[in-house]
Amino acid sequence: MNIELSREATEYGRQARRALEAAGGDRLVQLAEEEPERREKVVAPVLAGLGAWELNPCGDAGELEAAAALCRSAGYWALPYPVAERLSRPAGLDADGLLVVAAPAPSAPVADLDLRWVAVTVSGERSRAVTLPQTSPPRHSAFVAELELSPVDGDGAADAALGLVLPCWTLLGMLDRAIDLTRAHVTVRTQFGQPLAAFQGVQFQLTDAEVERSGVEMLARYALWSLLASPADALADALALRLAALEAAQTVFRVAHQLHGATGFCDETFLSWLSRYSQPLRRLPLGLSATREQLGRQLGRRGLTGLFSEAR
Amino acid sequence: MGEGATALRGQLRTMVGEHIPADFLGAFTEDPADLEIAQRFCGLLADRGLLCLAWPEEFGGRSASVWEQTVVREEMWAHHEPRGAQYMGINWVGPAIMRHGTPEQQRRHLPPITRGEVIWCQGFSEPDAGSDLASLRTAARPVEADVQPDGEGGTARQAGDGGWLVSGQKIWTSYATMAQWCFLLARTSRGARKQQGLTIFLVPMSRAGIEVRPIRCMIGPHHLNEVFLDEVRVGPADVLGTVDDGWKVVQEVLAFERVGIARYARCERLLQAAPSALGDRWDDLPAELRGRWAGMLVHCRRARLLAYRVLALQSQGRVSPVDTAAYRIAVTKLDQDSAEVLMEMAGLARLAGAGGRRFSRAVQDHWRYAQASTVASGSIEMQRILLARALLAAS
Repeated sequence: MNIELSREATEYGRQARRALEAAGGDRLVQLAEEEPERREKVVAPVLAGLGAWELNPCGDAGELEAAAALCRSAGYWALPYPVAERLSRPAGLDADGLLVVAAPAPSAPVADLDLRWVAVTVSGERSRAVTLPQTSPPRHSAFVAELELSPVDGDGAADAALGLVLPCWTLLGMLDRAIDLTRAHVTVRTQFGQPLAAFQGVQFQLTDAEVERSGVEMLARYALWSLLASPADALADALALRLAALEAAQTVFRVAHQLHGATGFCDETFLSWLSRYSQPLRRLPLGLSATREQLGRQLGRRGLTGLFSEAR
Repeated sequence: MGEGATALRGQLRTMVGEHIPADFLGAFTEDPADLEIAQRFCGLLADRGLLCLAWPEEFGGRSASVWEQTVVREEMWAHHEPRGAQYMGINWVGPAIMRHGTPEQQRRHLPPITRGEVIWCQGFSEPDAGSDLASLRTAARPVEADVQPDGEGGTARQAGDGGWLVSGQKIWTSYATMAQWCFLLARTSRGARKQQGLTIFLVPMSRAGIEVRPIRCMIGPHHLNEVFLDEVRVGPADVLGTVDDGWKVVQEVLAFERVGIARYARCERLLQAAPSALGDRWDDLPAELRGRWAGMLVHCRRARLLAYRVLALQSQGRVSPVDTAAYRIAVTKLDQDSAEVLMEMAGLARLAGAGGRRFSRAVQDHWRYAQASTVASGSIEMQRILLARALLAAS
């Protein structure tokens, strides 16, 4: 694998971030919460303008990297739209996107969107999925809707891997933003006559968050490479990424909230939105414990492919 | 990493398999035979041109790629560093002498290192100068020109320069009991800043006035020692680089280490060995512990990829303090976290035959070493300070 994304994918991600900022940036999720039914109209044209739906992440390494970069930029603005899920749409099935789901209550952050979904479990069971009517507003649901499933087949192992990896890139974008926000806050906020950043206790928390974030960045890159180059390991690598991303999110958001103090809970601070809208990505389809358990089952005694995996 | 690096990994594993016993836990145990095994292995590596692989060809190396160097670090650390104390001479003493040494110093010191015949120790830390190294107190006092060094130092470079008498105390000095030479940092003058006025001396440990006292510790013998210096005579020919400008050499020395020890390699080797070492007992482990085991394998991969990113940037001539510090923090935490998971497995492993007992001993050794990983080679707090500075400077 290459350690960095290609120059083209990096530039595409940069342009996507600018385009989403121009379309409203932080305001996009706030508008969507006020008028959920409008989010398709506001967000989808920007993504179409970026050529998002022409990307073919399943078959081309360059386009897969571009898709990942787009997801990361979407996460940076907590974009209230299932970009990763739409980019993961399975080949050979007529659908607008893919949702990775788990029993006993399959659900996904796709409420109030007129789109056709295929759902897949981690073990590769595919279904048609229809969203059930919303019972709570987005302020509480974060656009998560329960799904009604109609079984299709059991051929979705590769779909599941892609469907796990791309949302982790969205979450990575959220971690990028949480650290940027926190870094900016501790630099300008003054207490006891000096910026918070001057206190070692503050600095060390920030470094713990950054170590977690940068680790996810590398594992995200690896899992992306694995999807096309090492299909037999792709699902384990995707779960490995998800586990690290969930652990990192716990640390990064905890630090971000702590260092923002009370202001971080206020809606005038974007951290409040970012933190709340990171929840579906962190809990669905599997939370931290369930992801760790699933990875343990997936690895069995075999372990994770690495320097010494052949010796097992 | 490329085909060359992959072939090298295979070659090293074959050598380890043929010449290092399965229960080898490093050169520094209570059993002197382990040191002999390491010395013999160094000789074999030297014969095959693998000991100083990274060195330029003009100094006896092979100008290996950064990835081949990485393979050597990974394989050696994973197999309990069968180079013993030699890594110090290879990794940074030799390169520092290449860069700052006189032709005479290069002729004298570099060939024995390439042959694996000499052990160096590092005379840096002092009781009151650990992370704050520049505060060291060991002093080199100039002596009159007619008082010449005792012959080890060679001829003076400057007329009338009679050398120095060095007095002070060094501590935590690994391998001092077995080292033939010391890479000694001492104060030769006082400048406006404490980093000024420091000088590096290359001093034979046999020189009069040097006394080594071992410190018994949980890591094992030979790792920690005190070194007392009582009016040890050093001459101009013992100086590495420029008098009073040793701090520059120290900083370069630390940079030679690049990303430091490949701790993730030993962690991964032990974690991957756990299921077969436990045999049927593996299924008796709590599911929660097996989940943590899987998580530690993810952390191994994470640390390895963070290391590779630093190396990739360095190979492009780019330096990233953020990435370097992030890696070092991640890998030292991995060392300790994986040691805890493995120790929970070690008890059951002891019941699983000879292989299980061997695994259990290796895990206990790993746990003891891991306690020092956030302290040795620059404490984790220093890495956090470096990372925080870089992060905040970028905002």
